[in-house]
Parts: sequence; C-alpha cells; structure tokens
Amino acid sequence: MKVSKWSERLFGTPLPDPVVITSFLFPLLYLVAFLVIPVIVMLGTAFEYNGHLSLYWFRSIFGSSYYFNPHPSDYLVKTIEYGGKEVYHFYGWDFGVVLNSILVSISVMILTTLLGTFFAFIMARYDFPGKNIMRVLLFIPLLVTPFVNVVVVKKMFLPDGIINWIFYEHLHLFPKPIWIDGLVGVIIAQTITYYPIVYLNAYASFINIDPSLEEQAENLGSRGFHLFRTVTLPLALPGIASGAILVGIFSLEDLAAPIVFQGSAIAKKLMSYQIYSSFVSGFAVGNPQMAALALIMLTIALIMFLAVRWYVGLRQYAMLSKGGRWKPRVAKPKWWQALIIAFVAVPLLLITIFPQIGVVLLAFSKTWYGTWPSGFTLENMKAIVTQPDIEHVILNSVLYSTAAIVIIILLSLTASYASSRFKKAKLAPILDSLATIPIAVPGIVIAMSYFFFFSTVPPFKGSILDPTNLLYFFPGAALILAYSIRRLPFAARSISAGLQQVHVSLEEAAMNLGAGRWKALTSILLPLISLNLLGGAMLSFVYCMSETSVGITLGSINSTWYPITAKMRELIIGAVGSANLAAALGVFLMLVQITAIVIANIITKQRYSFIGLT
Amino acid sequence: MVDVKLENIVKTFDGTTALKGISLHIKHKELFTLLGPSGCGKSTTLRIIAGLDYPDSGHIYFGDEEVTYLPSYQRGAVLVFQNYALWPHMTVFDNVAYGLKIRKVPKEEIKRKVEWALELVKLKGFENRYPTQLSGGQQQRVAIARALVVEPKVLLLDEPLSNLDAKLRLEMRSEIRRIQRELGITVIYVTHDQEEAMAISDRIAVMNVGTVEQVGTPRDIYERPKTEFVASFMGKTNVIPAKVVERNGDKVTVEFESFRLDGLHYTEKSDNVVLVIRPERIKFRPGENTVSLEGTVDLIEYYGFFTEVVGLFGETRIIARAISDKEIANLRPTQPVTFYIDRDDIIVLPKQNL
Ligand SMILES: Nc1ncnc2c1ncn2[C@@H]1O[C@H](COP(=O)(O)OP(=O)(O)OP(=O)(O)O)[C@@H](O)[C@H]1O
Ligand SMILES: [Mg+2]
Repeated sequence: MKVSKWSERLFGTPLPDPVVITSFLFPLLYLVAFLVIPVIVMLGTAFEYNGHLSLYWFRSIFGSSYYFNPHPSDYLVKTIEYGGKEVYHFYGWDFGVVLNSILVSISVMILTTLLGTFFAFIMARYDFPGKNIMRVLLFIPLLVTPFVNVVVVKKMFLPDGIINWIFYEHLHLFPKPIWIDGLVGVIIAQTITYYPIVYLNAYASFINIDPSLEEQAENLGSRGFHLFRTVTLPLALPGIASGAILVGIFSLEDLAAPIVFQGSAIAKKLMSYQIYSSFVSGFAVGNPQMAALALIMLTIALIMFLAVRWYVGLRQYAMLSKGGRWKPRVAKPKWWQALIIAFVAVPLLLITIFPQIGVVLLAFSKTWYGTWPSGFTLENMKAIVTQPDIEHVILNSVLYSTAAIVIIILLSLTASYASSRFKKAKLAPILDSLATIPIAVPGIVIAMSYFFFFSTVPPFKGSILDPTNLLYFFPGAALILAYSIRRLPFAARSISAGLQQVHVSLEEAAMNLGAGRWKALTSILLPLISLNLLGGAMLSFVYCMSETSVGITLGSINSTWYPITAKMRELIIGAVGSANLAAALGVFLMLVQITAIVIANIITKQRYSFIGLT
Repeated sequence: MVDVKLENIVKTFDGTTALKGISLHIKHKELFTLLGPSGCGKSTTLRIIAGLDYPDSGHIYFGDEEVTYLPSYQRGAVLVFQNYALWPHMTVFDNVAYGLKIRKVPKEEIKRKVEWALELVKLKGFENRYPTQLSGGQQQRVAIARALVVEPKVLLLDEPLSNLDAKLRLEMRSEIRRIQRELGITVIYVTHDQEEAMAISDRIAVMNVGTVEQVGTPRDIYERPKTEFVASFMGKTNVIPAKVVERNGDKVTVEFESFRLDGLHYTEKSDNVVLVIRPERIKFRPGENTVSLEGTVDLIEYYGFFTEVVGLFGETRIIARAISDKEIANLRPTQPVTFYIDRDDIIVLPKQNL
C-alpha cells in the first residue's frame, strides 16, 4: 500500500484503509446529507425576500408584537369565575411567540433543576425507611407517554381536579381552588415530564463525588448548608447543568404540552407550536417567515448546547482525580430533614408520578370528567390487539423503529470507532460534533427541513421521500431517516462508552497476528462491545417508538402510514372518549419501555440511565 | 535470514519528538534488547517495527525487503504487548489459535500447533480456561504462545516481565532465553531493568530520550560504557566530575577536588569530564598500575554478600565494594582510608548534560 499524506491528515492513518475510510465517511456523509444540508437549505429560504438576499423576515418577526412583545399583555394569575365559584386562574403573560418560548424554557429549566436536584440530593445522601420504594417510584416519571401524560396533568390542575380535591377541599391549604392553564400549564406539564432528566444527571454527579473532598471540608469546619454550597454543589454542577440544558432544549421543541393546552390561546404562542400549526395547515412549506422562526429556535438550542458542552468540558478535570470506588456518604436525616422528606418530597413525588398513573386509569376507564375517571373498562386495552387502525399504527412504529435502529447502530458504531481510534484525524472532531449535534436540533425543524428539501431538491423531488408526491410518498422512509438522526446521539453515547472500555491493544494484537482491520473489528471488537450495542439498540428503539415531533407532522400526512404518536395526537384532539384510547397506546408504550429497560439491565448488568447529555 | 535494520527512524507525537533518528541493526537469531528509562522511546521503536505505528521518516528492512509502510498484518513481526492484550472473550486455545485461523491453517494442524506452543510455555491443560481465570504469569505465557505459534520472523517483547513478582520474573527470564535458543528466532526485547537486560541479551542498545547511546554486548556496555548516561544507567556506580589539566598523547591527567590522577586513557576533545569507577573495582591495597585516593570513612554498609564503604574525599563521596570482610576489618567511620584504583578501571568520559 502507498503512504498518503492526505489519508494521514484526514483519517489519522498514513495507509488509506477502506475500513477506516468507510468508518469516517459513512456517518459523515449520512449526517451531512440528511441533517446538515436539508436544514441549511430550508433555513436558507429565510434570507430571501422578493428574490433578494434580505433580513426582511427576521425584521418582520421582531417588528411584530405577535412574535415579539417586550411589554406583556395578559396576566400571570387572576381570580375568575368558574362554575359559579371563584378560582385562581394561572395563565401567563404574553411576551410574544419568541420570548414566550424562551421564558417557558428558562422557567422549566429552573423548576426541573430545583426539583431534580432536591430529589437527587435526598436519594444520594440520606438513608430512611422506604427509600427503596422511593427509588422505584422515581423511575415512573421517566416513562414516556406522549400527549396523554399532559392530558392527565391538565385534568389534575383543573378547578375540580385532584390537586384541588386534596389541597383545597380536604386539607384547606388553598384559600380558593386553583386552575393551571395557558403557558403556566405548559410549564408545569413540562416540568413534571422532564425533571427526571435533571434528577438522573444530578444523582449520578452526587454519588460520583469523592467523599474525601467533603470530609476534608468538614474537617476544616464547614458544615450543613455551607458545605453543600461551597463543595458539594460546585462539584455536582457540571452534571446538573447538562441535565438542565437538555431539559431546556426539550422544552423549547416540545409540542405535546402546547397541543394539549391549545384550548387557551396563549399556549399556542410558542415557536414550536407556531411552526407545527403552519405545517399542518400547509403554510409552513416554503414559508420564509416560518424558516426564520425555525432558525431563531435552532440558534437558541445550539447556543444552550454549545455553552453546556464548553462548560462541562472545562470542568471535566475536576472529576478525573477520583480513582477507585468508595462508599458514598449517606446519613440518617435529622428530625427536620425527615419532616422535609415526609411532607415535601413524598407529596411532590406522588404528584409527579400521578400523570403516569393517570394514563393507566384513563386507559381502563370510559370517561374522566371532574376529579376521578369513571366506568371501568377493558375495551381500550383490547383495542390494541383488535382494532385494525390501532394495530396498524403499532406495526408501523415497530417497523420504522426497527429499521431506524439498524441504521443508528451502524452509524454510531462507525462514528465512534473512527473518532475514538483515530483521534489525530482532522475529521475526528468534526464527526464527533456532528454525531451529538442532533440533540440540539428541534424535531420540528427536521420535519420542516425534510418537507422542503425532499420536495424541491433532486434527486429526492418526486421520489418516495417527497411529501408532495401524493402517489408514491412513503412517510415511513422519511420517518426512518428522521428517527435515525434524532436518536443517534443516545445510542452513540452508549456505544462509544463501550469502545472506550476496550483497550486498543486488543485490536492491535489481532492485526499484528495477521488479521486485517475488518477481521479484527468483527472477531475482536464487536464481540467485546456486543452488550453496549444491545443496550444502545434498546435505548434507541424505545425513543424511536415514542418520537413525537416528526411523527405528528411528516408522519401524519397519510393515515395508512401513521406511527403511534401520530395516532395519539389525532385521538387526543379528536372525539370525546378517544383520549382513553390514546391512553391505552400510552400504556402500551410504557410496557415496551419497561420491558426494554429490564432486559437491558439484566443482560448488560449495567444501569441504563436512559438519557443524558455530554 | 531475518535481520532487522532501522535507518534514521524519526517519530513525532503532537510536537514532541519520541525518536530522533534511530539506526539499529539486529542480527538473525539474536536476542537484542532495547534498554532505557521510562519514556525514552522503547515502546515506540517496537511498535514501529511491528507496523502498529509508522515513522515520520526513515526506513525499516527485514532482510533486504523494505517494510516501513507494510501493514502490521502482512509483516510477521509479532509483538507481545506489555499488558498481554489477551482477548477476554476467547479461551486460551482460541487466543493461541487465532493467528493460525487467520492463516487458514487446517483444523488438525491448528490443534497440533496450539498444543505444541502451549507445551513450550508449560501451559498444557489450560486450553479451555478464559484469560481472567489465569494468573499474571500464566497470562503472559499465553501471550507468548500466541505469538510463537505463528512462527514469527521476529518476536517483539515489550517489558514482558514487568508485571510479575521477583521469583516468577527470574523463571520467565530463563524460559524466554530457552525458547529463543530452541526455536532459533530473532527476538527484540524491551526493558528498563538493566540487570534483566544483562542477563538475557546477546546485545543491548541503551536508549536515552529518543536516541541510541550505545550498542554492544552486556559486558561491553557494563565495562566500557561510551557515555556518562550509559555508565550511570548500568547499575550503581561512581560518576565523579573532573577536569582535564594535562594531555599527553592518548593519556591525560585529570583533577577533582585536590586530587590529581595521571596516566588515564582519554582522547575526546572536551576538558569537562566525568570519571566512572565501578565500586567493585576499588581496592584497599596498592597494585601495579594503581592511583590512590586518601580520605576518611563516611559510612560502612553491610549488604550480606558484600559490604560497601563510602569514603569522603573532600566533598566527594565515593563508594567502594568489598567482597571479603578481611580487607576492611580495620576501617571505622571518621577514620582515614585509602582507595586504590587500577588506571584501566577508571573510565574517563566527556561530561554530558543529563
Ligand atoms: N500515542 C502517543 N501520543 C503522544 N505521545 C506519545 C505516544 N506514544 C508515546 N508518546 C511519547 O513518546 C515518548 C516515548 O514513549 P514510549 O512509550 O516509546 O516510551 P518507553 O520507552 O516505552 O517508556 P516506558 O518504559 O514508560 O514504557 C514519551 O515521551 C511518550 O510520552
Ligand atoms: Mg513502553
């Protein structure tokens, strides 16, 4: 073989080896073709006005009080009449679409950080009766049930909902019933949905702090809250921050909460919802104003993402000093701490797991007006296996998700092999960033980009990927592409963790004994990381099955090819009683997730913590 | 015939030069050792010979064939890794058989050869164990068997004994020597332990930060070090800074403290020199060609089969080693003492900036 300087520079090896080149180019080209180019092409339309390069559409957004309104209208909370009673109506100030999205995202980040860190600290540092039950219960809010959990949250906080039933009617803690609605409703729903992400990240950080660091501080006289503020929290901050940022991005792109709360006008005044609604009404495609809005949204998400990567990267060294294993510091709570656990933590936990419980209740009942559901029935659950349209969407989702995980596994395998084994290659950091960046690209932006790109740019125009090609458009193909891009970072993380555990010398020994690179890969590396592959595959499968943004847009074009989430959306905004059917699908998804996680945990003997950034 | 030639090998890692132009010629059937302190580039040299890294410049030849950029899997220079690199998902048998399977050797023959290799390293009966079920020494022997079974042109051993306890180390040392002789293969051995290098090698290359300081037989290197670095690296020795004050053909007179030593062999230019004197060469009785140094006893340390006398000469401490107690029976700390050294046992070398 001939030595080549460009191979050394690009791929980190002077001998251009087809396996290495493929490992770099396959994921790179795939991500460029199905993420970078479609998004850039679509966003490019935002800079065109009357055939000229122009910032007109951005000016039109920032000049309109609908989108940008620094002097808010509406109210945060107000006493109003509801069914003949006075109630506190929580609604939200209207700062216009752009600021609303940012403020919702920030509020959710703050609330989830408080809640998640609070639970993580209790679980990591205190030992109390019932802790194991609490540990299991904390697992429940992690279960993803698109739309229907928000439906339950909405019901909980109605004037005759469960929250008022407990705290107003029975405990008399509120002077008047409360009604959480509008943007406040969106914030509360998102907080309850996403705080487990912060919890998991914070928990992992707390138990990874070297106890001797805290002991040393204590030894020097620091105690109680001072110790927490000066030592514990700063050390755990990178973990907490990356959880919080992930939540911020998820909040920004979330569609479920605004769709469920769309009864109140202000809940629609969010960037994600605006793009979504113009998408379903057909106005988004080639609509430069929506492209401009998408660009603003993407920019905010990217800034958050890059900021946290930079911040966490800076602090990684602090964690390197740790070395071996140790017994984490756990203490018995003092009397007042026990009171906090019993009267603050436990009720909060029960409130936050209620959405999932509510989904189960909803699935097994006929109707749910007022406080509790009524009319026990098995019909909804039966429909999963008997009702053709329901069966159908499940099969579709399984098909798309399975196809997507094959691609995801190939992508993450090649990408992490290339960037972990050829660190010196100029392409390695590019590949590394590209493989994680989908976390920061809102699903709705991908949906919009695909629609525009595939319907205008050859060779995709007129192909099965072209949504305007009524005859041949196959939404499954677009969904599989979208799933494979959106869920890549999670699988890539699991697989590159596996690759890092396999010392390079194991592959080198094989090659040194005469195995080519391909042989070394298949006979040594793959068997050694098979468990990580399996874990990554399970994880991506679960997240593909519950993917929402693209599913309810590109996936909603043709009902024959609906994925589960498209059907769920249709059901919850549709006829009375159909939310119960959506809940049955939610229960089904929860069962899939529990099965996948249990299998992954048993087989890999590792704790899969679902989700994380960095 | 497989002799290995390195010509002017240069290798740089992110700006730091690990090898600064190394040239070596390793002969057929030789056990050749790369010896040097940590970080001097031994592993890098070995990896470049194995084809796991490529040099920035320079050439490598196996016999007459240039192999500089031949991929590792076509080279036949098999490396036994410092950490053994046994595959945890394969049994001992499968680990050893791997290279043969790659070469598409028939099943029957694989069985025979693996058996032979395991017998050679005294591991018969361990075929079905997994690497994690073996001790460190056994793992290392599997790694050697795995390399030997493919009949490598060159066997490369990277600090193969560093993870073993002292007793096992001695055993394995002679095992490696025995196997190498029995099979008649070329072995390149890496270690930072000078004693190990002396015991095992036909020839040694002493390396220092990316360069080869000296190549020679163990005796050569121990008794005739060519540089201060080599002298001080090869065991406990006296290295005394001195100045050349007079030259007379290839003989010089040097001075350190208030002592003047004449008639020493030295031909280099630099007047700043060191005197290298092995402790066991210092006598307590004058001889025919000796110089003498008068000082006081600083310390007497008993080591069992020898005793060390540390003498103080001005500010300079010099260690002498006595095998019999008789010679030094009269010495007491703080009392005067005279060291006698044969002029041929004083090696004068230019001072290096170490
Ligand atoms: N992959 C690499 N990247 C960067 N620097 C490297 C790499 N490999 C080696 N080096 C550097 O090259 C120099 C020589 O390293 P090498 O591993 O060859 O030393 P060594 O003599 O084998 O040391 P030891 O006895 O500790 O094993 C060292 O300074 C080392 O830090
Ligand atoms: Mg080394």
